[in-house]
Amino acid sequence: MNNASDSMALSNHVNKKRKVKGVLLSAGFAFALILFGPYFLDNYTVNILVRAFVYAATALTVNILWGYTGILTFGQSAFFGVGAYAAGLLFTHYGFSYGIAALALCLGILASGLLAWLVGWISFYQGASPLYVAIVTLAFPIVLVQLLYSGGTFTGSSSGLVGYETFDLSVHAWFSLAGGFLVLVTLGAWFLVNSDFGRVLRAIRENEQRCAYLGINAPRIKTLLMVAMAAVASVAGFIYAGYTVVVAPEIAGFVFGTELVIWVALGGRGTLLGPVIATLGIDLITAYLSGSFPYIWKMFVGILFVSVIVLLPQGIFPPIWSFFGRRFKRKDSTGIVPQVVSSEMGVVKNHAATQGRPFVLKVSSLGKNFGSLKVLEDISFSVKEGELLSIVGPNGAGKTTLMRCLSDGTERTFGDIQIEGHVIHRDAPYELVSLGLGRSFQTTSLYETLTVYECLRLARYGLDKPSMTTTLTSLSLPGPAMRVMSATGLDADLACEAKNLSHGKKRALELTMVLALEPRVLLLDEPTAGLTKPERTLIGSILTDLSSNHGISVVLIEHDLDFVREISTRIMVLTQGKILLDGPVDEVVNSDLVKTVYSGHG
Amino acid sequence: MNLVFDIITTAAILFSVAAGLLIILGVLKIINFAHGAFLTVGGYAAFVATQNQINPWLAFPLAFTVGLIIGALVERFIIRPIYHRPLDAILATWGLGIILSQVITLVFGREIQFAQPPLSGAIDIFGVGYSQYRLFFVVAAILMAASIALLLKATRLGLEARAVIMNEPLARALGINAARVRFVTFIFGAALASLGGALITPLTSVDPNMGVPWLVNAFMLVLVSSISLRSLALASLVLGGAQVVVSTFVSPVIGGLTIVALAAIILRFRPKGFANE
Repeated sequence: MNNASDSMALSNHVNKKRKVKGVLLSAGFAFALILFGPYFLDNYTVNILVRAFVYAATALTVNILWGYTGILTFGQSAFFGVGAYAAGLLFTHYGFSYGIAALALCLGILASGLLAWLVGWISFYQGASPLYVAIVTLAFPIVLVQLLYSGGTFTGSSSGLVGYETFDLSVHAWFSLAGGFLVLVTLGAWFLVNSDFGRVLRAIRENEQRCAYLGINAPRIKTLLMVAMAAVASVAGFIYAGYTVVVAPEIAGFVFGTELVIWVALGGRGTLLGPVIATLGIDLITAYLSGSFPYIWKMFVGILFVSVIVLLPQGIFPPIWSFFGRRFKRKDSTGIVPQVVSSEMGVVKNHAATQGRPFVLKVSSLGKNFGSLKVLEDISFSVKEGELLSIVGPNGAGKTTLMRCLSDGTERTFGDIQIEGHVIHRDAPYELVSLGLGRSFQTTSLYETLTVYECLRLARYGLDKPSMTTTLTSLSLPGPAMRVMSATGLDADLACEAKNLSHGKKRALELTMVLALEPRVLLLDEPTAGLTKPERTLIGSILTDLSSNHGISVVLIEHDLDFVREISTRIMVLTQGKILLDGPVDEVVNSDLVKTVYSGHG
Repeated sequence: MNLVFDIITTAAILFSVAAGLLIILGVLKIINFAHGAFLTVGGYAAFVATQNQINPWLAFPLAFTVGLIIGALVERFIIRPIYHRPLDAILATWGLGIILSQVITLVFGREIQFAQPPLSGAIDIFGVGYSQYRLFFVVAAILMAASIALLLKATRLGLEARAVIMNEPLARALGINAARVRFVTFIFGAALASLGGALITPLTSVDPNMGVPWLVNAFMLVLVSSISLRSLALASLVLGGAQVVVSTFVSPVIGGLTIVALAAIILRFRPKGFANE
């Protein structure tokens, strides 16, 4: 067993090394092309390509934001413009020297980083619509261009700044510089999107809400990513300004910003080379055609763009690649087999620290209103360490709403909640996760296109920080999570995409993900809905084990009274938003009130 | 007094320009980025009326009809296939905007053109002379709001549209043909946008990209209104008023950015905007 996993780890290592080697080789080849390219191309083409290289690098940043993370941005041009104007302004007003150039580069990065942070702060808050950032990033370059227009002779107003002194480099040198920059950005992007952190980005695109309940602070990650991509775009703008010796408001405007999005869409969002090729291609053709048919060419690009969005959302290149991929299927497809190993649960360590506290979860006079409708009213209860509390009640009693109020500090209208002695103010779900709360959903909420292994790695986000450059191929999970996996056979499906799992295994994955968080309080919303009898028994025994042997407090919503009676230490009955009964199992199950509520007669 | 008129007429202008966008967002839940292009189409309809020396009042029904026709084609071939992909709908309608503005450039050229206003000159009101056409805008905006409200409240289709706005799955389960409601809403919204474009043209001028600056302000207003006509009127008045005040007393450039900046801040702290819960 041990030997087998060792050799598996070894082969993973070899496979990964081979993959990295392949990418580095292609990058080296690209560098060679860029060094010798100018000797084979005419001057006009070389000129156009220098500009196209910096555009392509900027398009790549749009691709990381939109293609991989799902942030549709029209404003990347503004950061490009900030970098370009930083150079243009300093060179015009203070003359050129290498010191000034370095200063301009740094100022450009700093300014665009700050602006990106501001855009992120405005656009990304818990529950913000993904459409909203598109509007903010559309408005942002418009504001910037207006400011440039009104800058008088300082910014050169509508004609911009022209003819300042700049680097004394040949066109060939610029070609190598811009091309080298593009290759480096592409290479960096490759490492980023193939790393563990890259997977977090895809998870945010797929299901941002689920991320929050795994302790991932998506708004913060998106803002930081925006800042980083703004910095790259600003460097691209700096190279542009140094090369063309012209900075005009158009390069910061939203038209350029939308062109970047169009290039990415045509080349294929969420692929690395597609957008680069599309940008270079379209820019070259535009340079050759716009002289003779400017409007018709632009209209053609517009028609192509609309058709691609409607008919080929993945872009033009991915379908072509998959066609060739099928015909020349390589024998050694990178067969990286992930594996999972068991680890001690961190809970045991904190055990002593929490023993003094009487309650792990304490709720006092909690209420929730939707407008004038009172959904929950005056809910007070507390859960001790190792207790298994089941909440039962008819449909519409407010059980799931209660779960939502417990797991998201912004939900409730009145009342106080304490987790492990911490008072919950208006804390976002990811903050509650870090306090030791784990929640599963009534309807399975997973990352459809990620594999089981990837889903579990995401669940370990808070405990094993993801790497920005590499992927780990083994993962350690706490004992109870391992038990769910092996008992349900999920450990054999690690490389399977979540959407292809059976319903039972999806529920098991959901539960495993929550357990992987190593929670102190577990909120489970109908964890056994739609499961078979043996599966339910299994989940039941795992839950009792968690509460009695690991000291985890479990709060459970269930409909099946028999199931609840077997596993619970306490039962709470909720009807019409109020607590009807709260007490030991036998007392509640045998009470006349419950019989009335459940069967309609006493 | 002049300032008060400026504020009221600006609010009326903003309302007329944004109404079409609001309706489409409300029912289809997509942001129509071609809204700017529809405004431009309306502007050119008014220009064509001037060019052919037709009565300038007829420019408005002309613009409305052109909007209906283009809207119908767009709904059928672009919106319908992707209406459940809202982010892609933004892109597709944006691409459509590019196509429309290139077609206009091919037909009419790039230069700025002018359309004749149906009303010109000033009128004395409360002791100040004020542009008749700007005052007419208040009437136009009220008429527009009243007819939309009437359509929503008093017709079968309006009832169905409201049902779709509130709960689309339920509306479909009740046998409402949601696809038809969406179609009618989209072409009506497009026609309103085109009419809005024809209305603003005599105040400014037409060029192939005239719609774009209006587009962003219209979006911001619609976003802070949470798809309610009443909130849109309120938002137009408050934010438009702020724009007029800042333009008059600070600088027109910063004034031009007021709506965008204020709306972004309002939404950050109160995602519901001007709508109450």
